[in-house]
Amino acid sequence: MSDTPYTDRTLATVAARKKFWRQYQGPLLAALSVGLSLIVWQVLSMTLFDPFLVPPPTTVATSAWPMILSGEIFQDVWISMTRVMVGFITGSAAAIIVGVLIGRINVLHQLLDPVIEMLRYLSPTAMIPIAVIWFGIGEMSKYFLIFWGTFFIVLVNTVAGVWRTPIARQRAAECLGASRFQIFFFVVVPSAAPFIVTGMRVAMASSFMSIIPAEILAADSGIGYLLQKSSMLLQTDKIFVALITICILGFATDKVFRLIVERTLSRFTANSSISP
Amino acid sequence: MLEVRGVHKIYGEDPGGYVALENISIDIRAGEFLCLLGPSGCGKSTLLNLLAGFEEISGGSVSFDGQPIRGAGRDRMMFFQDAGSALLPWLTVEENVRFALRVRKIPKAKWDGIISTYLSMVDLDNHRTKLPSQLSGGMRQRLQIARALAVEPRVLLMDEPFAALDAMTRRRMHAALIDIWQRTGQTIVFVTHDIAEAIALADRIAIMSVGPRSSFMRIMDVEAPRPRDMSNPVYAALFSEIETMLAPEIQRSEERLG
Repeated sequence: MSDTPYTDRTLATVAARKKFWRQYQGPLLAALSVGLSLIVWQVLSMTLFDPFLVPPPTTVATSAWPMILSGEIFQDVWISMTRVMVGFITGSAAAIIVGVLIGRINVLHQLLDPVIEMLRYLSPTAMIPIAVIWFGIGEMSKYFLIFWGTFFIVLVNTVAGVWRTPIARQRAAECLGASRFQIFFFVVVPSAAPFIVTGMRVAMASSFMSIIPAEILAADSGIGYLLQKSSMLLQTDKIFVALITICILGFATDKVFRLIVERTLSRFTANSSISP
Repeated sequence: MLEVRGVHKIYGEDPGGYVALENISIDIRAGEFLCLLGPSGCGKSTLLNLLAGFEEISGGSVSFDGQPIRGAGRDRMMFFQDAGSALLPWLTVEENVRFALRVRKIPKAKWDGIISTYLSMVDLDNHRTKLPSQLSGGMRQRLQIARALAVEPRVLLMDEPFAALDAMTRRRMHAALIDIWQRTGQTIVFVTHDIAEAIALADRIAIMSVGPRSSFMRIMDVEAPRPRDMSNPVYAALFSEIETMLAPEIQRSEERLG
């Protein structure tokens, strides 16, 4: 009898531990993953690798600190982010408009698809040389390159989304009395939304990959330019600061993008497919 | 009311194409409950799509109140087996009905009354703010019915609407449908491959042969009061009569579809 309260308390402790673990398992393991990687990197840099070629995290942090304090790094981040955002937003908007039209109008699809299917293999990097000649090394060439990369990715996904709109949904709306215009805007476009969002996420990641070569080859500002400049001056520590900045930027932007989508479009993306 | 005269439906080129329907004729009377019954691949859904105006006939004529059918019409409302894809999944239960009233250009002042009437008719009044994904299969099918009835179509075209539901829910849906049909007096064309379902519901059963070249094998009247008690020996006799008639067709259907 006297054991009972003790046992209960033990069970309660175990239960509480389990609950704590369930609740924080994800974030704890994520922190562990980053922490372990930093430790492994630090140890390898001090033993196996030449610390000049692969500067350890401590060196990178020491180099980053004055760049953060002076705001130098933020200036580059801001410039690169602006380029990505301008190109990404205009590219997505254009692709969505063209995509729903191509998806809906068969003649337009047959007319444009062959060209699109070929052009989409021209990566933004392949377009850098001609973009510099067309637009110079100013902002417009970077906007164009990000636009170029975003456009084709979002376009292909938008067309797929329009096509996957269940025929039953369109026919049901037609029977109810919806006009072609209403079916297009209130049935097809919302049905395609999950595909469009997926395309935009992929395009966002690709924009972050494209902006760097664009800035390395044709810019006098931005994170890519920082990489290029640091490489010329053999400042490996600064190169690593720039690389880590790109990782954090891409990761954070995707998180913010997903948050915005969840807040504004969850109805369209969360309930897109229902089994009967 | 719906007159089907010598209808052919051919997919592909005229010579050499697949002849889905051959020489189909039937007069569908106003207010009747007609079941199109047949095994898979007998073209019953094709015929329903022709009545709805979603597809064009290759020969013969289909007319509605004397007018040839060209395209989907507001008087003929199609029901789909997969309510999940027919509904707008991003709209709540009441918003789905409201969408129908909006596109039908019904005056806004009437909306609330109509929505309440039809949602309570199908017992969804307490689920107005739920999304379709939060409903069961039977509830989604009832929502599709409420949404369709709200625009008061004269003909309901139902393509195996309850096939995906479990047996208990299906029987409840049958009772609800008969109840609604008796109250509204609409004409119903109901496609099914389930003999018992056809007997439970129909005034007339049109039995179709397996394609290619599907046609009506026989059109039977089911003259019996409702609600129908399926344990009645009359229905058992009718069931085995139809079953015997369809047995070779089902075998052909299985051979064809593998």
